[in-house]
Amino acid sequence: MTTFSFAQDTPWKCAACDQPLIPRKMSITYLKSEFHVELMACPQCNMTLVEEDLAVGKMFEVEQLLEDK
Amino acid sequence: MNQQVQSVLSTTKSLCPVCFAQLPATRHREGDAIYLVKSCPEHGTFRTVIWRDAPVFENWQRPKIPSTPQKAFTQRDKGCPLDCGLCSNHKQHTCTALLEITKRCNLHCPVCFADTSQTDGPLDPDLETIEFWYDRVLEASGPCNIQISGGEPTVRKDLPDIIALGKRKGFPFLQLNTNGLQLAADPSYAMELKQAGLSSVFLQFDGTNEEVHRVLRGRNLCDIKEKAVHHCAQAELGIVLVPTLVPGVNIHEINAIVDFGVRNAPAVRGVHFQPVSYFGRYPTPPADRDRLTLPEVLAQLERQSNGRIQASWFAPPACEHALCSFHASFLIDEENRLRPLSSGQSACCSTSEQSPISAREGRQKSISFTARQWSHPLPMAKPPGAATPLDDLDRFLLRAKTHTFSISAMAFQDIWNLDLERVQGCCIHIVSPEGNLVPFCAYNITSSQGIALYR
Repeated sequence: MTTFSFAQDTPWKCAACDQPLIPRKMSITYLKSEFHVELMACPQCNMTLVEEDLAVGKMFEVEQLLEDK
Repeated sequence: MNQQVQSVLSTTKSLCPVCFAQLPATRHREGDAIYLVKSCPEHGTFRTVIWRDAPVFENWQRPKIPSTPQKAFTQRDKGCPLDCGLCSNHKQHTCTALLEITKRCNLHCPVCFADTSQTDGPLDPDLETIEFWYDRVLEASGPCNIQISGGEPTVRKDLPDIIALGKRKGFPFLQLNTNGLQLAADPSYAMELKQAGLSSVFLQFDGTNEEVHRVLRGRNLCDIKEKAVHHCAQAELGIVLVPTLVPGVNIHEINAIVDFGVRNAPAVRGVHFQPVSYFGRYPTPPADRDRLTLPEVLAQLERQSNGRIQASWFAPPACEHALCSFHASFLIDEENRLRPLSSGQSACCSTSEQSPISAREGRQKSISFTARQWSHPLPMAKPPGAATPLDDLDRFLLRAKTHTFSISAMAFQDIWNLDLERVQGCCIHIVSPEGNLVPFCAYNITSSQGIALYR
């Protein structure tokens, strides 16, 4: 699967490193499934920003579909 | 003697196959096989295979914190399983309630849980009685999944009314257990049931070749099953293929059945295997070679699929007792390959690190998973507009909304392998004529003389 970018201008900065965030390619894993996306992250410590609408939107939907019994 | 003591893995309780006396029982290992052993002072020792080979029996666990019925209809008196109704000692709520709406059937199967081979039988329960049953399920357990069963439910002309009534009562997921004859014969029937509120069809499906059907059902049903699937798909009814697996008859068909299901997805939502169990009169106990245990079904899935399906992807259940079933869910990709979605062994890899889950929570998970997975997916699937860019998550969501697939199996118990720990953790309950809820296996148990415990 190809990487999709969630890169965006964001006012958020990394609190620990005081760095502006930059787009970073990364993989998200939930249970056995892996997804490749581009997210905004701190260039120094790699702390990644997942905006609320992504977390409670698509990511939540994916989690629900992967949820086992 | 010493060797035998060491091989005892755990203890439980069971019944004497001859006189139904409650007996202590042990699960013990002999080589790669596990046996349930019990001795009746009057009728002797009985030893039945319950597990063979990998995954390791001792690791196949999913302990639960028991949760007793919302309302118990019977009290403890004679002891389990003679007080079922459910009694206040039962350890799991109803996940699926079975309503047997007729004893009549239009097939004459040598293999039948309900022993209902005749076309003319006693009078069917009227709608008022069925309404009372629905109410009793709500009273005992609250809303859960409903399976309409029999006999063959489609012999009743008022089946759509029975389904509509269940829907009005507030049951979100109603499934029909059927041989598919009527669904195949009448192209408009599936739609009629769908419009009445049916979500899913639990379709008896023993194999893809003529001979299997002849042996198990007495006639070639291949075309009938295909037509039934086709008509249900047209009506957007979810279909679960339900093979009864019998050693020497259709074990070699396991992968062919899965393939048939995948080819007919997304209408076919999964395959639910049921290894044969033995009811009726057996002067001598069924031989161990006539039994297929759950790990053997997993081994066959892996072997027959040439490793495309792996045993390690499957997990014991969150709802019923671990020894009763396995399941895994998959994504069917664009090339019709099965990709595992489940966490598989994460649920069962280490007994020492297992922390028990709440039975109530497991039951709730199971109700919603089953209702979602076994219903037709199309109403949920809304592709984004053409201009919307797709990311990895979008692509997954789009495919997974329609093309998830489940493979599961349930091992029903008979009088020889009956394990009361499993009965007490059971979540599939038959509503008896008087409106009590009885664990499926307890309800169907017969002694070696063919005498029924409940029926």
